[in-house]
Amino acid sequence: MCQTCGCAISPGNAHLTVSQEGARGPVIEVLQDLLAANDRVAIHNREHFNEHGVLAINLMSSPGAGKTALLEATIVALRGRYRIAVIEGDLETDNDAARIRAHGVEAVQITTGTACHLDAHLVHRALHALPLAGLDLLFIENVGNLVCPASFDLGQHRNVVLLCVTEGDDKPAKYPVMFRAADLVALSKSDLLDVFEDFDPERAAGALRALGGETPMLRTAARRAPEIGAWLAWLDRELAARRIPAHAPRHASAATVAV
Amino acid sequence: MRGTSVHELSVCQALLAQVSEIAADRGARRVIRITIEVGPLCGVEPILLANAFNVARTGSCAADAALAIETSAVRVRCRTCGAESDVAPNRLLCAACGGYRTQVIAGDELRLRRVELQATEAPLARSA
Repeated sequence: MCQTCGCAISPGNAHLTVSQEGARGPVIEVLQDLLAANDRVAIHNREHFNEHGVLAINLMSSPGAGKTALLEATIVALRGRYRIAVIEGDLETDNDAARIRAHGVEAVQITTGTACHLDAHLVHRALHALPLAGLDLLFIENVGNLVCPASFDLGQHRNVVLLCVTEGDDKPAKYPVMFRAADLVALSKSDLLDVFEDFDPERAAGALRALGGETPMLRTAARRAPEIGAWLAWLDRELAARRIPAHAPRHASAATVAV
Repeated sequence: MRGTSVHELSVCQALLAQVSEIAADRGARRVIRITIEVGPLCGVEPILLANAFNVARTGSCAADAALAIETSAVRVRCRTCGAESDVAPNRLLCAACGGYRTQVIAGDELRLRRVELQATEAPLARSA
């Protein structure tokens, strides 16, 4: 058991984690978001993206759901149409950035060490190594994790969450904070649905719908014979919406769940 | 944030930065009690936050402060029928009409609510 992540806490010793009260003094009412400092940098990042007309997408999922594979297939499909760059977040290695660079696309690797998520400061630092001028699309591939990344605004315009069909179709019910943050959910590796019969796309859509709102869901298959048409069409619509000067809403407008 | 292992520790560092600023603004050297609001839908676990607080506060003005964590029920307002209802964090549907077009109106807070400072010998003027 480690001393930092809280796994040593049990209902029996939890009371020891809060110290005792001392003498009374002035009481200051604050009511400020705890992540206000992160959110300020996120707004700053978003201003950078807007200034350069770049659509920024924060891609999140469990480890191994196929984020990098989807990006590779996307880069191949959009070659010659959009200029793309990628920020990769991983605890260690620049393997994913190398995979992206092999397709001739610029990639900046953030290695977070032991941190379980990207935050706005880390992304801001990465932006210094990434010229935004001339870009259409910036993908930020977050650390594979369905918990922590949901709490940190990076300055993205849209959150995309991959739900891999090799996972349970009840993931939206188990990770409501993450799936509630999604502007789009992609059922990744959907070519495996025939093999992984336990995964019911209708059940996944129902669990997502139970979180309120109208988050659209689509399917992607990035390997062998890639089928990412619905995903590319969604990107096209989002890019077109960014080019209209009106302020775009944070959540995608009414869209149907097509699974 | 490099070197932190869970996001609760990152949140704690942000909390301590805010609290230290408030204490410094008012010339207080010690913080007695910190009250925060942590809703079930904010993505932060209160018990992990309390534990991370014990690690992160060492050496700060809140080194021996108490941390009080208030939590609230998740509450939604229906965009279809207008009803408000308390719901489970993973079932944000209107309890009245069953509709899914809902808006969370409580339960996603992650906020510093109040800070209680140790009285100074010559109290400074309170500012809002």
